[in-house]
Amino acid sequence: MTEEQGQSPLARMNCKVEEGVLHCRFTGRWTIDTAKRETSRGSWRRALTDKKDIRKVSFEIGKGVGWDSVLVVFIRSCLSDCKESKLSVDMSRLPSGLCKLFLMTEEKLMDKVELDGGEPGFLTAVGELIFAAAEAILSSVHFLGEWTLSLFRLFRFKARFRASDFLDSCRACGASALPIVTLVSFLTGLTMAFVGSVQLAKFNARIYVADLVSLAMVREMGGLMVAIVMAGRTGAAFAAELGNMKLNEEIDSLRTFGISPMDFLILPRTLALFVMIPMLTLYADVVGMLGGMVVGLFVMDFSLHHYIEQTQTALSSMWDIYSGLAKTIFFGGIIGLVGCKKGLNCGNDSAALGEAVTSAVVTSITLVVVADALFEVFYSIMGWR
Amino acid sequence: MNSEDKNISLPIVSAEGVSLAYGEYVVLHDVTFNAIRGQALVVMGGSGCGKSTLLKSLVGLLEPVSGAIRYGDQDFWASDNQKRDEISRRFGILYQGGALWSSMSLLENVSFPLEMYTELSPKEVREIAEYKLSLVGLSGFGGFRPAQLSGGMRKRGGLARAMSLDPEILFFDEPSAGLDPLSSRRLDDLILELKETLGITFIVVTHELPSIFAIADDSIFLDAETKTLLACGHPATLRDECPEEKVRRFLLRQSNLS
Repeated sequence: MTEEQGQSPLARMNCKVEEGVLHCRFTGRWTIDTAKRETSRGSWRRALTDKKDIRKVSFEIGKGVGWDSVLVVFIRSCLSDCKESKLSVDMSRLPSGLCKLFLMTEEKLMDKVELDGGEPGFLTAVGELIFAAAEAILSSVHFLGEWTLSLFRLFRFKARFRASDFLDSCRACGASALPIVTLVSFLTGLTMAFVGSVQLAKFNARIYVADLVSLAMVREMGGLMVAIVMAGRTGAAFAAELGNMKLNEEIDSLRTFGISPMDFLILPRTLALFVMIPMLTLYADVVGMLGGMVVGLFVMDFSLHHYIEQTQTALSSMWDIYSGLAKTIFFGGIIGLVGCKKGLNCGNDSAALGEAVTSAVVTSITLVVVADALFEVFYSIMGWR
Repeated sequence: MNSEDKNISLPIVSAEGVSLAYGEYVVLHDVTFNAIRGQALVVMGGSGCGKSTLLKSLVGLLEPVSGAIRYGDQDFWASDNQKRDEISRRFGILYQGGALWSSMSLLENVSFPLEMYTELSPKEVREIAEYKLSLVGLSGFGGFRPAQLSGGMRKRGGLARAMSLDPEILFFDEPSAGLDPLSSRRLDDLILELKETLGITFIVVTHELPSIFAIADDSIFLDAETKTLLACGHPATLRDECPEEKVRRFLLRQSNLS
């Protein structure tokens, strides 16, 4: 694409009418780095609307004018105007390269695939939403059913997975999670103690900080914190791992070897979470109480003996600990199954993988919080609190 | 193989009026063909014509909406799960990217099906797996993880795994995809050698012309526009004599024949 020496850098189109033919001559630089072209479009529009006696439009280009896609696009828009106004077009004076480019894009335009349907109406959208929700619920129930069957197969020694996969999963969602669980639960206990100390001081009952922290940790916060950390850590990892395996056709190759992905991939992962989450929760409970104790000893100046004795009194019933742990088994199930299901149902591209991981984390955290609330309601209805 | 031989050979795999769809979107309809024992059948056609979908249905990953797929005289999709698993053990599949199980080493990948389905001792399993790896030129790489191998090696590893249970039929999904011309040629040669020495039947999905002409004894051409099987026969015959211009254009790599 060339440039005339010393020419004006502005893209210009000069229009003049001779014997019913509109001659459009392009001069200047018609390239993407030339900003001003509005005047040309204006003059084109004016030429078309002002002069009613035009029958034909002829395009030509000044010698050595610099041009690129900008000119092609401009002429394309002119041509569509010509078509609208039913004017014939003469492009014989345009350089052959430009004409070719133009023709190529014309062919592609003809190939354009018609996508069906426009914007759906309100009722259609509502209907689709309901069907999608019903389908999601059905597929979840189906997945849960398949998983339960797989568990039965395991009890009858018919489901096969590699012990090393189970142990790897245990390590990944158990031991490897210790540092983050330590940090989160310690700080949770510490924060609760600080908040509690201020409130309890008003009633001169500061020693009950030990009760507050220990009961809150074992009944509620320990399990919930571990579940949230696990959802972000392990649930996301399961979804990403299985989604990637699906993209690489590894899941298909398992199926065609007659190996159930449910038995081989999902069972060891979910069982690992079932086993590890209660253990992590127990650990988080202790670390959370330690966090509270740090505040009790160093900020509130209780003696170690006094604080521990108060904690023991608060936890005199083991039921508080058991009820907290019982919930976490369900949390483990939710996180494992949601992560695996999202991974297994992931679409066939990398964007779908990202969506699967995000959805796994969001869904499992939401379900964990809902399940936690339901458990608390259930416990209080049964008079177990 | 000449036509006389074909008459006496029984098809090992056959499709009768198979129609495939994803939901309501029909991909292929009324596809009928036979694959003869010991031959290489190439499934060809342009992108999006349903080659890989047909393969999925042949190996049990997508149920046809109508028609039957038979292995010998057994209707694959009409069989119960157990029967289908038994039939599945008669074939091996090489997926596009090899699809080796990423959590296992190459040797574990090849030995895992043997551990699952045979009563062999661990030593025998290991020996067989090593032998299969050496068949595809990967001896010594058994300890490598799939992520540590090149694309071509992963494919050959996938082939070793597909052959682990000594299948009668091997399915290949785009064996040349993502390989340089030399590696792709080596894979074609390997297919020819395995066909001659082990008598395996090959069903290869590909649109690579050099591979098609190198390995095919028979071929079918699927068309994206009509969603049907447009032609079948030896690729060279189809190239020279097929009445369908589309098929000739495809095999001659010409956008038009005028």
